[in-house]
Amino acid sequence: MFWRRRKNEDFSEEIQAHIALEAERLRAEGFSAAEADAAARKRFGNVLSAEEQFYETNRWLWLEHLRRDMGYGLRVLLRNPGFTFVAMLSLALGIGVNALMFSVVNALVLRPLPVEKPGELVFLENNHFGIGQSFPNYRDFRDQNQVFSGLMAYRVVQIELDSRVGTARTWGYLATGNYFDVLGIQPALGRFFHKEDERGEGGSPYAVLSYGSWQARYGGDRDIVGKTIRINRHPYTVLGVAPRNFHGTEVFYWPEVWAPMMMEAQIEPGNPWLENRGTFNAWVIGRLKPGVSPSAATANLNTIAAELSRRYPDFDEGLQMHLTRPGLMGDVIGGPMRAVSFALMLMAGLVLLTACANLASMVTARGADREREIAIRLSIGATRWRVMRQILTETVVLAGLGGAAGYGLAQVLSKLLSAWHAPMDFPIQFDVTPDWRVFLFAFAVSLVAGIVFGLAPARHAAKTDMNAVIKGEQLGWRGRRIALRDVLVVLQVAVCFTLVASSQLALRGLQRSTDIHLGFQPQGVSVVQFDLGLAGYTEERGRSFQKQALEAVQHMPGVTSAAYSNSVPLSIDENQNSVYPEDQPNLKASEVIAAATYEVSPNFFTTLGTRMLAGRDFSWHDDRKSPDVAVVNVAFAKQILHTDNPLGKRFHRGPGGPLMEVVGVVEDGKYETPIEAPRPAEFVAMEQHYNTTNTLLVRSSLPQNEVVANMRVAMAKLDPDLPLFGVGGLDQVLGLAFMPGRAAAIALSTFGILAILLAVTGIHGLVSYAVARRIREIGIRVAVGATPAQVLRVVLGRTAWLMTVGCAAGLVLTLALGKILSTLVYGASPRDPLALLGVLTVIILLGLFSSWAPARRAIRVDPVMALRHE
Amino acid sequence: MATRDENNRIALLQGTLDLLILRTLLFGPQHGQGISRAIQAQSDDELLVDHGSLYPALQRLEAQGWISAAWGVSENNRKARFYQLTKSGKQQLTRETNQWKRLAAAIGRVLEPQKSEG
Repeated sequence: MFWRRRKNEDFSEEIQAHIALEAERLRAEGFSAAEADAAARKRFGNVLSAEEQFYETNRWLWLEHLRRDMGYGLRVLLRNPGFTFVAMLSLALGIGVNALMFSVVNALVLRPLPVEKPGELVFLENNHFGIGQSFPNYRDFRDQNQVFSGLMAYRVVQIELDSRVGTARTWGYLATGNYFDVLGIQPALGRFFHKEDERGEGGSPYAVLSYGSWQARYGGDRDIVGKTIRINRHPYTVLGVAPRNFHGTEVFYWPEVWAPMMMEAQIEPGNPWLENRGTFNAWVIGRLKPGVSPSAATANLNTIAAELSRRYPDFDEGLQMHLTRPGLMGDVIGGPMRAVSFALMLMAGLVLLTACANLASMVTARGADREREIAIRLSIGATRWRVMRQILTETVVLAGLGGAAGYGLAQVLSKLLSAWHAPMDFPIQFDVTPDWRVFLFAFAVSLVAGIVFGLAPARHAAKTDMNAVIKGEQLGWRGRRIALRDVLVVLQVAVCFTLVASSQLALRGLQRSTDIHLGFQPQGVSVVQFDLGLAGYTEERGRSFQKQALEAVQHMPGVTSAAYSNSVPLSIDENQNSVYPEDQPNLKASEVIAAATYEVSPNFFTTLGTRMLAGRDFSWHDDRKSPDVAVVNVAFAKQILHTDNPLGKRFHRGPGGPLMEVVGVVEDGKYETPIEAPRPAEFVAMEQHYNTTNTLLVRSSLPQNEVVANMRVAMAKLDPDLPLFGVGGLDQVLGLAFMPGRAAAIALSTFGILAILLAVTGIHGLVSYAVARRIREIGIRVAVGATPAQVLRVVLGRTAWLMTVGCAAGLVLTLALGKILSTLVYGASPRDPLALLGVLTVIILLGLFSSWAPARRAIRVDPVMALRHE
Repeated sequence: MATRDENNRIALLQGTLDLLILRTLLFGPQHGQGISRAIQAQSDDELLVDHGSLYPALQRLEAQGWISAAWGVSENNRKARFYQLTKSGKQQLTRETNQWKRLAAAIGRVLEPQKSEG
């Protein structure tokens, strides 16, 4: 008891010393030993009372009480291992889910970027292109504003990186010279590039490596600084390594290399845009000067924007700027992300609330057994506040234990989540490792949960009528009014129904989505992707390489068909073109329809398994010397050319672009997401429209891994240094397109299982409580001849009624939420009576299952025992 | 020695016990029983120290830091807890003594007004 100033024993000893001294003095005055002793005691008065007084003046008394209550609470919990286990489990799940959700929200929304004074950073957006700014505009903003202490621009880029472990196509940032200085970070090794390092276009071949890249590709070599590495086959000098926790300014994107913006032409070959005011390719982050508000900064930017709009009406007319938070690509991802996070938090909160409700009813049900204990405590002088505190301490202890388990669960799950890589060719990664904020959150949630679910039973206990209880009178079932407990059970059943139903609908939707008509047959197709531009190929060399590669894979064993294209449908690399029918070359911007666009080789449709409905496929004769031809889909013919027979019709590809003649029609397919409505698509000949990004496709009867291995060998023979990416079966490469639906189904199923667990404990708690309260009544009923069925009706009637109401509410909720669900998961429709009926059956079974044990107890009531009771 | 008629003694006013304890300790460290005896003796047996309030008072003064305590041995070789005045306790004693004197004088003036007028 280290917090006590002085022990009770010490005080008793002092009193004994006092009495001894007094007695000695009295003996000295002439009393006999016995007389002196007695007189001294009498003179001192009530020793016990003095000791008690001392005990109560102790200022740490409440702590002492807390310690005792906690000890008692723990003993009570240990005595009821079944209850403790169920309670801790539901709390651990409830709190664990909340802590996990919170660590996701924390990682994506709350945790500031690991840079200096992150609160001062703002992300610039405009009304024309959202998050992109043109580089000339950026320069004007940078040089003319009065509100930023620094304004930097950067861009996500693909690069080919030649390192010790071979060449790889990977991802990085182009960044202006002031990038690191505006962010205010220090390198882990070497130095960063600065404004002075910008020596005109192409004049600063420097690179900064990310910590992860330095470790993985260069083995953490401390002498890397000053060495030359090859990016896109050009030499770059490594200046330094970024700190370990810094992954750029996008929380989900982990680049490997930062290169100066001035190297744009080398990094993005064939696409110089630094001097082009019409290309809105740069992302811009500014650091506000101290004391400048975001609204003042916006006003200043808009003054400059108005000037730009006047001076460059072709590009900037009506340009307006606004500011958002950096980290999630401004509002593009940030907006929906914040909304989804909020929805998930709300759902997790609901789960915890139901867990608390369960525990409240379980503790109250147990309280019925403890009524005598409490009545005795009250009658020997415990205050009601003291009794309430005792019960609250117990529930908080329980919540603390559950919270600790839940936090551990969240730790494990978030580690898994952090290690997860999206199945795509893009370095998406989150760091959701719980930090102190998550710990604090879990702690606070546990404490609040403990108080919330302890409050009702504590209040109930404090209202105990000690006389009635000690005399053995049952207070009887007064619960004809609607109790909070009943409302909670209805809520629980409704939530459970909704979650289980939604996950069912989502799963059935997913099942159906494998039968979606994609407009091509991904099974049996294997792909490799490569970028000839990054690898430094000229157009001539690139064209011949494409043919050689196709030749090589065509002769592999088992290959029935092969082709190449710039990209495949449903991959992240989706391009669109504005299309103008031949007779309407001057459509207004609002009337132009954009079509998905692909540059493909002959046999592309055969290889992919897309049906040709009319006309012909491309041939090797459709080359640079012959007229431009195109294949379109049905939606293109109907929506853009307004005809069922588009063969021979012509259109412009892009404003003022080349005139294309339609030579073939293919079936409609899915291009961006598997759940989109039919949209126009055009296919043009790669021979006529060269593209450096290539996907080589083969259809083969051999197993996929064999085909892929053969393709790697064939490609390595042609150019051993060419990095391949997106290698695998086409259905694997398309995994991303189906990810939102799968993620939604997984999340819903998890929540559904949680909801089932909680509903089971909830209903169990309710029925147990009902039986415990009515043991005497049941005894009387049985004594006067009630059959088991009649007893069950008494005990379960109310529960059945509550469950009916809950299911009805859940059904309404499911139908209402069905719309949202169907946007996430293809084919998930709430109008699925079979699925809903299934859910209803599950809930009824759950109800039966969870009331089984208490109902059996009710049937087995022995009237003699019940009536003699105590 | 005759039995004392304890009913005739004056019960201590609230708050005055603290002052008397501090005053008693001015002469040196003393244990609880000694303090109680000293107060009784110095007041010519007029003041009765109730032990039920003596120890809580000592406890209180110790908590305030005006006295400190340590186990020691009494003159007749008994183990006892000895209390000692601290520096801030001495200051407190001066303050309280002044206050008490002013209070006593004021009460005296109210009870016998003619004297203060004359």
